Amino acid sequence: MIRPCDMMTVSLARLIEDGDTVFHGVSSHMPMIATLLAKRLHAPNAVHLNIPGGVDPQKPVLRKYTSAGGELWQNACASFPLMEVFDLSMRGGLDVAFLSGVQFDAAGNVNASVIGEYHRPKVRLPGGAGSAVLIPTARRAVIWRTKHDRRTFAQKVDFVTAQGNVSEIVTPLCIFTMYQGELILKSVHPYSSIEEVAENTGFPIRYFSVEQTPPPSESELRALWEIDPMDLRSIEFR
Amino acid sequence: MKKLCSLFEAMEQVRDGMCVGLGGNTLNRAPMAAVFAMICQGRRHMRVVKTAGGMDVDALCLAGCADAVDAGFISYESQYGLAQHYRRSVQNGLVKANEHACYTVISALRAASYGIPFMPVRGLKRSDLRRVNGYFKDVTDPFSGETLAAVQAIRPDVAVVHAQIADGQGNALFEGPKYEDVLLSRAAKSVIVTAERIVGEDWFAASPEKADIPHFLVSAVVHAPHGAAPCACYGYYEPDEAAIRAFLALEDARAFDGFLEKECRL
Repeated sequence: MIRPCDMMTVSLARLIEDGDTVFHGVSSHMPMIATLLAKRLHAPNAVHLNIPGGVDPQKPVLRKYTSAGGELWQNACASFPLMEVFDLSMRGGLDVAFLSGVQFDAAGNVNASVIGEYHRPKVRLPGGAGSAVLIPTARRAVIWRTKHDRRTFAQKVDFVTAQGNVSEIVTPLCIFTMYQGELILKSVHPYSSIEEVAENTGFPIRYFSVEQTPPPSESELRALWEIDPMDLRSIEFR
Repeated sequence: MKKLCSLFEAMEQVRDGMCVGLGGNTLNRAPMAAVFAMICQGRRHMRVVKTAGGMDVDALCLAGCADAVDAGFISYESQYGLAQHYRRSVQNGLVKANEHACYTVISALRAASYGIPFMPVRGLKRSDLRRVNGYFKDVTDPFSGETLAAVQAIRPDVAVVHAQIADGQGNALFEGPKYEDVLLSRAAKSVIVTAERIVGEDWFAASPEKADIPHFLVSAVVHAPHGAAPCACYGYYEPDEAAIRAFLALEDARAFDGFLEKECRL
């Protein structure tokens, strides 16, 4: 049985290439763990950047309540806080930014702001955090979202918090990628299908050829449990 | 004026209608004792500024202290979920959410600290945030002609930060992550520091680590052990889960009084 949280975390990790500068923010346990996993396995020279500013924290004891706490600073080699990470992205030096949102559409628009009208919203969402500046400036903005339904992947987002260099969107069912300004299906997780993705997506699914996402390998799973013994990668599914 | 004073004396410096910048990040080193004191003092019509806020902003919204919140992100992160009091206040039209990217809060504070009226920002290329908010405008690079987004400066009347160490003069040191607190102290007109420890007047002189905030920027300093609780303070304590859960369960501002008495001994 493959757990969607494991499938998503290893999928995010595989998108990190060796040597990439990588940033994740708040409410980001899954990409935080994916970054630590990539560094442990195939991308030892990736640079782990985060909000508290600890560069490449060594074996942090992760906390349930935050992905922006002092544990990412404590065993780090250098201090490079959030504002400098943003500056790095603005001048073209950030390779991967992990971000999320609540609504996405086929044009790759991301909504993390409101459902309804901005000034008197039906639902006020937490806000896009760094999205509006990082998605257009990071080389690859990788989105994860633990919900995959027709309200999340909608015909049209209520509000465009950000648009730009979205490279992949990883969901519990599949991985989308951007191709010429359009979100297309890249791979489907082993326990899902094109039909299931289509049923749960509010816009027509388009693709060239769809692969199956390789399931988490034994070494990936072993490393995952070592990095994240408290299973915080599943926190958004609880 | 003597800078080292009680929490309530210090927070008297915050007046209704002021723009207040809060230190820390989400549940990390939020200046909760100061926030609870402002609530007890019945502050109204405040504009609250923070890159990424959590319980602090949520509490000010529940208590009816805030009219506007300028921030990039307001939530408790994954464990405790959304900031429901903030969310309800915005949805009911009681609080204006001025959504920024966290970086545009930083840029707005930088502009204030540099003494200039705005800051050009890369990014925000195709964002509705730029369309619906008056604090973003287009600006043209006078050299190349390129159009960029500009964000208006934010100069808080007062910055409220919780530090691990301070002395009686107001020199303050953040052990561990500093978040945007140092910038905030430069952008604001004055700074109120609450601290876990108050050290002697010669402590910083003898220390290899110097204060992040120098005394001359600080208008009041308070000895406030557990001053970030129920949020976390790096090197001192983790969040108090029971107190956070109790707060999240509060229905309205009236229920808040009992909470403040029980959890904060205020």
